[in-house]
Amino acid sequence: MKEFGYKNATTITEALTLLDGQNARVVAGGTNVLPYIRSGKYTDCRLINIRDIKDLNFIKEDSDRITIGACVTISQLKKSKLILEFVPALHQAACVFADPTICNTATVGGNLASASPAADTAPALLVHDAIVFIKSLNSSRSVPLSEFFKAPGTTVLQRNELITHIEISKQKNSGFIKLGMRKSMSISIVTAASSVTLNDAGIISSCKIALGAVAPTPIRAAHTERFLLSKKPDDDTLSALIKATNLDISPIDDIRASADYRREVTPVMVKRAIKLALYEHC
Amino acid sequence: MSEKINIKLKINGVFVTLEVLAHQNLLRALRDNYYWDVKCGCEVGECGTCTVLLDGQAVKSCTVLAAACDGHEIWTDKGLGLSTKLTARIQDAFVECGSVQCGFCTPGMVVAATDYLKNGGKPDRTAIREAISGNLCRCTGYVKIVDAIYKVAKDIEEGLL
Ligand SMILES: Cc1cc2nc3c(=O)[nH]c(=O)nc-3n(C[C@H](O)[C@H](O)[C@H](O)COP(=O)(O)OP(=O)(O)OC[C@H]3O[C@@H](n4cnc5c(N)ncnc54)[C@H](O)[C@@H]3O)c2cc1C
Ligand code: FES
Ligand code: FES
Repeated sequence: MKEFGYKNATTITEALTLLDGQNARVVAGGTNVLPYIRSGKYTDCRLINIRDIKDLNFIKEDSDRITIGACVTISQLKKSKLILEFVPALHQAACVFADPTICNTATVGGNLASASPAADTAPALLVHDAIVFIKSLNSSRSVPLSEFFKAPGTTVLQRNELITHIEISKQKNSGFIKLGMRKSMSISIVTAASSVTLNDAGIISSCKIALGAVAPTPIRAAHTERFLLSKKPDDDTLSALIKATNLDISPIDDIRASADYRREVTPVMVKRAIKLALYEHC
Repeated sequence: MSEKINIKLKINGVFVTLEVLAHQNLLRALRDNYYWDVKCGCEVGECGTCTVLLDGQAVKSCTVLAAACDGHEIWTDKGLGLSTKLTARIQDAFVECGSVQCGFCTPGMVVAATDYLKNGGKPDRTAIREAISGNLCRCTGYVKIVDAIYKVAKDIEEGLL
C-alpha cells in the first residue's frame, strides 16, 4: 500500500518550509519521480510540487553570465534564443533530449538532481562552468557543477535543500554530441561536450571537455583538456586523443553498450564535439 | 493509504473537481474518471499512448503528478476532436490514410500531431517523425501515420484549413 502525502508550494520559502525536517521529496516535472513511485524507489513521503513556483522559472542574462531557474523545462531551453546564442552546447543537448513530450515537462533542475551518469544537460553545463545555487530554510550555498555529483543517483544535495538556479558563463564556441541506440527517446551510450577558444595563430588557448555515461558521474576530462591545450585542432591532434581520453574515463558494461565499445567511441565523440564547437558541424 | 486530494481543473473545456491520490499519475486520474480515450501502455513515459495537452503542450500523462494539475488545463484526443477543427481534421486524415490498425497508439499520436501542427509544423517528413518520436506504434510501421500528418500540414499550407 502506498502512503504518500502531497503539498503544492507556490513560493520558494513555502517549498523550503515544507522540506525542512520532514520526510518530503521535491517533484518538478515528475518524469523521474513518477517512475520512481511506480517502481517503489520512493515510498511513504510527502511530495512537494514546485512546478508552479514562478521564481524558479526564468532564463536571464547579464554581461557574461546566463542564469537558468531550476524549473525551466528542456523545451524552454530548446526554444530560448539566449541559450542558442550563448550556450550552444546546451541548446544541442536539449535538441536530442528524450522526445518533445518529455521535454515539455522535464526540468533542468530535475535532470541534475537525479544525477544520472547519462544526464544530457550535465556535460553541456560543465563546459560552461555551471554553478548550482542551493537553498534550505536557513542557509544558501553555491557549488560548482563539477563538485555537485557524488555517485550515480547521488549529489551533494541534502533532503531539505532545493536547487533554485544555475549560473553559466557565455561562450559562443561550444558543442554537444550524443550517441544513443536510436535518434530519439534513448538514454545515452556516450555524450561529449566541448568549449574551445583558439588564438590568432589557430592554436587552442583554452578548452573544456566534459563527458557523460562513461564514469559514475558526468565528468570534466582533465587529461584530454591538458593534451589539447596549445595544440592546433587538426586531424592529427584529434586522432591522437585516445590515450588521454582513456585516462579520463572509467566506463562499465551495461545493457546499452560494453565498456570496450565506450572506450573506442569516446575519443571519436570528443573529436566531434570539438568540431561542433569550432565549425558548427562534425 | 495515500492522502486524498481534491483538485479543480479544466478538462476538455469543462471545469471539474476530481479526487486523486497524492501519488497518482494524471493518466490514472483521467481513466478513473472515465476519460477512456487516454490509453495506458507502459506507464513509465516510454510509449506515448497516454499523451494529452497540459496547458496547451503535449505531455505524457503517466509522468505527470495528477495533484500537480490543480488549476491547470487538460485536453484529450476526444475532447480536442470534438471541439477543434485541427484535431478533427487530423483524426479524419488518420482514417483516410489507413493510419489506424489496432488503434492503441492513435489517441497519443493525434495529440502529438495536434501539438506539432498548432505550433506551425510544416509538411516535412523528418520534422513530423521527430514530433511523434516519443509515440510508439507496433502495427503500422509509421509510414501511414506520417502520411496523415503530412496531409493535414499540406492542407494548412495551402490555406484549406
Ligand atoms: C521516457 C523518458 C526518457 C528520458 N530521456 C532522457 C534523456 O534523453 N536524457 C536525460 O538526461 N534524461 C532523460 N530522462 C530522465 C528525466 O526525464 C530527466 O532527468 C529530467 O530532466 C528530470 O526532470 P524532472 O523535472 O522531470 O524531475 P523530477 O522527476 O520532478 O525529479 C527528479 C529528481 O530530482 C529532484 N528534484 C527535482 N527538482 C529539484 C530541485 N529544484 N531541487 C532539488 N531537487 C530536485 C526530485 O526530488 C527527484 O529526486 C528520461 C525519462 C523518461 C521517463
Ligand atoms: S503509458 Fe504513458 S508513455 Fe506509456
Ligand atoms: S495502430 Fe497498433 S500500435 Fe499503432
